[in-house]
Amino acid sequence: MRYDAIVIGGGHNGLTCAAYLAKAGKKTLVLERRHVLGGAAVTEEVFPGYKFSVCSYVVSLLRPEIIRDLDLPSHGLELLPLDGTLTPMDSGDYLWRVNDHSKTRREIARHSAKDADAYDDYGMAMVEMGRFAKPILAMTPPDPMSLDPRGLLALLSIGKRFRKMRYHDKVNQVQLLTMSAVDFLDQWFETDALKATMSASGIIGTFLGVRSPGTAYVLLHHYMGEIDGAFRSWGLSRGGTGAVSNAIAGAARRFGAEIRTEAPVAKILTRGGRATGVALENGDEILGDVVVSSVDPRLTFERFMAPEDLPDEFLEGVRRYKYRGSSGKVNLALDGLPDFTCLPGPGEHLRGAISISPSVDYMERAFDQAKHGAFSSRPYIDMVIPTLSDSSLAPPGKHVMSCFVQYAPYHLSPGDVWDDARREAFGDAVIDTIAQHAPNIRSLIRHRQVLTPLDIERDFGLSEGNIFQGELSLEQLFFLRPVPGWAQYATPIHKLYMCGSATHPGGGIMGAPGQNAAARVLKDFRA
Amino acid sequence: MSAPIVVIGGGVNGLVCATLLARAGRAVTLVERRAQVGGAAVTRELAPGFLVPTAAHSVGPLRADVARDLRLGEHGLEFVTSEAWMTALDGHGHAVTLWHDPARTAQALAAYSQRDAERWAAFASVRARLGAVVASVFAHTPPSIDAPTPAELWRLLHTGRAFRALGRSDGYRLLRWGPMPVADLVGEHVETPMVAAALGADGVIGNLMGPWSAGSGLLFLLQAANDSAGNAAATWPRGGPGKLAAALRAAAEQAGVSIATGVGVASILTDSAAVATTGIRLDDGRTLDAALIVSGIDPRRTFGLCEPMAMPAEFRWRATNYRGTGALAKINLALSGLPVVPGADREQLATKLRMAPDIDFMERAFDHAKYGRYSPAPWLEAFIPSLIDPTLAPTGSHVMSIYAQYAPYHLREGSWDTAREGLLHAVLDTLDRYMPGVRSLIVEAEVMTPADLERKWGLTGGHIHHGELALDQLFTMRPLLGWSQYRTPIAGLWLCGAGTHPGLGLTGGSGANAARAILKSH
Repeated sequence: MRYDAIVIGGGHNGLTCAAYLAKAGKKTLVLERRHVLGGAAVTEEVFPGYKFSVCSYVVSLLRPEIIRDLDLPSHGLELLPLDGTLTPMDSGDYLWRVNDHSKTRREIARHSAKDADAYDDYGMAMVEMGRFAKPILAMTPPDPMSLDPRGLLALLSIGKRFRKMRYHDKVNQVQLLTMSAVDFLDQWFETDALKATMSASGIIGTFLGVRSPGTAYVLLHHYMGEIDGAFRSWGLSRGGTGAVSNAIAGAARRFGAEIRTEAPVAKILTRGGRATGVALENGDEILGDVVVSSVDPRLTFERFMAPEDLPDEFLEGVRRYKYRGSSGKVNLALDGLPDFTCLPGPGEHLRGAISISPSVDYMERAFDQAKHGAFSSRPYIDMVIPTLSDSSLAPPGKHVMSCFVQYAPYHLSPGDVWDDARREAFGDAVIDTIAQHAPNIRSLIRHRQVLTPLDIERDFGLSEGNIFQGELSLEQLFFLRPVPGWAQYATPIHKLYMCGSATHPGGGIMGAPGQNAAARVLKDFRA
Repeated sequence: MSAPIVVIGGGVNGLVCATLLARAGRAVTLVERRAQVGGAAVTRELAPGFLVPTAAHSVGPLRADVARDLRLGEHGLEFVTSEAWMTALDGHGHAVTLWHDPARTAQALAAYSQRDAERWAAFASVRARLGAVVASVFAHTPPSIDAPTPAELWRLLHTGRAFRALGRSDGYRLLRWGPMPVADLVGEHVETPMVAAALGADGVIGNLMGPWSAGSGLLFLLQAANDSAGNAAATWPRGGPGKLAAALRAAAEQAGVSIATGVGVASILTDSAAVATTGIRLDDGRTLDAALIVSGIDPRRTFGLCEPMAMPAEFRWRATNYRGTGALAKINLALSGLPVVPGADREQLATKLRMAPDIDFMERAFDHAKYGRYSPAPWLEAFIPSLIDPTLAPTGSHVMSIYAQYAPYHLREGSWDTAREGLLHAVLDTLDRYMPGVRSLIVEAEVMTPADLERKWGLTGGHIHHGELALDQLFTMRPLLGWSQYRTPIAGLWLCGAGTHPGLGLTGGSGANAARAILKSH
């Protein structure tokens, strides 16, 4: 049995890549280590009756053309709106931003008239920025050191589009790419909690603080979805994020792809600098024309291959690539809804995200602790209660709550390790923090699942627990991701490709790396 | 004779620019608020017989073309060169000196890490190669983004070629280094913690950044460029930085620049339509007519002197948001003897002494600045110039100059007038760990906080680089995107200070570039 393409890893990118390859008529096999598909986009019944989007919990920027090309709705994909972000403030007040611009404007005006005005300018500026950035996410990064004229033309075309922008937008664009989220927002806003909660999106999944340069860029992601108008930029998936993966898997199967779970890969087979297939942990060898790895570079090149199979300089780049997981996850099964002192009772405000990010200093302090090797005693937490939109996830009247927590550094101070006691202490810090804003939370908790970066590494195969398969820092983006010179989904090993979040444009349930990689593989098939 | 030019500010860049303009036959008047010219290049008698470098304790180095064109040697400038580049001290009796000679450095490193010793030559040479490519960009006006001229395109092509000539490995390195944290950059090449800290300091001096801040790699790269554009071993003018000021003044006067000191500028005057400069009004009420005004002072201070309506609203807004919050304090000490530094001999002490056991120590020092407090245990760079220039202090005595980070311009509680003493104590307590007993040697001490740097030297926010050297304020974006060619939206008003490309250090680079741009256009 010989395949045209073997895809390692059944996460959403691996599945997306496989679906496109199968759609193009390639005989495709997906190999997944776990018993469930989805990688970090997975729904699991962690406690009887309670289903969780265990890791990734919101759908962000899932590409509309992927939804169309793979006809995902017919495979069960249904996106539900996740409207608004509630930020409890230190003063006892709250800040509640929703998708409705004028409503948010009025809300901000409660705190600062100046900021309410600035919010209009800011929103317009971001839409312009998104317009510029969107095609860049879709493209295969050109190689600036190559003499290939197509790459140079691609770079030139970015330059040309940049030149055509208005001055105002040009400056914003440069600043977005280089500044810290807080410095960038400082130019518009004065309300501390507003800046803090907006800047939070800039640090998710990175080992950076809100004042670290390079964090402004991710602010953009929140605005990019609006341009399509097709769906909201951030949403939930009915049945949890696993339903997204299952829909993609369904599409892949319909196109003829074969998907095997509990089929862990042990080795990528090569002969004469060319990938020929994979060997499974059970010893089976499977041959394929091309091998596409959706797992991160550390696993792909350091675990599945031997150093002597790889050029020294490439291997050095693989080793240098930074993961440094910085986030954890706490999943709660609740008997009822949390009651926030800043806005008591149930209501619409619980249907969106609830962000514990009361001030810029709070965010930065949380980072300082992590920088010096400890989890934040008062972390940034992004909470979502998906059962308010999707009651199928819990028994009647019960709820599940997903808490994304930052910072929890993978590397603790020397002498300290992520053992059970540390994990529970981390979980306690999260609950304590939530309880400061919603004191009834403790009495509601029926079950609690705590994932540290080490757990994320072990359970989901994400090195150092980095949710984006490697830090989204400037020196690891675009043509530098994951290894300079190897950003075009190919590797120094002939017929071996990468298609995971470690490739451009990176993490999030976007599907773009998988789709871009498939296009590259198919191009090489035709060549 | 063409129209007279007024240069505002007699710092190094202002003097260089004025001199080059006068050489080209222009009538140039330079006005300086302080009693003497030189800006940060100044020597002063701290106590009888003790001469200290009041502000900067090293020169850029001076850019080679500036040194050559201005013939400063003929005006009495002489550098004391040093074989040592820097000495790292860890506070536990260890000292590692990095020499300009890589082989000698490798030998020094071998005592701590064989791996560092083996890799040093390669790292030093990469730093030099990348520095040289960046330096080639330093020498010219940044290109226009909207409408590059053929000459600019040609130069870009030239730079592009130099970049490609680096080859893939170095080319990518150059792209990666700028946005990286300097801690990671250095960490890829050096493992000895105290050495990594000493090198990493190149990425943070003067900026409001810690070594783990993304983008601190940039300053490291810029310093490498400065070192490659001049004589990196020549950073101490014999007799002190004031001698550089004196030589620059002599060169300026010889070229015909008329220099007025002790008089500040109250405002930059514009015509009734508020589109072009007509002159300046001085503090004493006099006005000087000039169609061309070149400002060597920092961008925010310059624009603060202008009629707001003379600048487009967007430009005004962007200029207000130009970032430049200083966090460096300067301490000068007159010492009755040479401090004891365990582990270091006299030759090792005769260079800048960078004090930190590791990078994390520096980062912790930085953490406080983010919350508006000075570091209780600051990172220090000390220099004892009297070791290489004995005329600075009475026999057997010494002077020491210290850069201390971090001391943020904005204190959240209290003011610098009340915090100055506390900062001095924090600095001396820290210094004492590296130089036990140093306190007992102190004859006289002075502290300059960022607030003092602003008051006395006119550095807005106390930022020694005239604004943060970060990716968004660099090259075609320094000081602002579209305004990097030394011009401003006000016709006739030009910039030539460190807030313009390339900035950084007392190199004269910005002043020289600006003079060329002005002469080309007028």
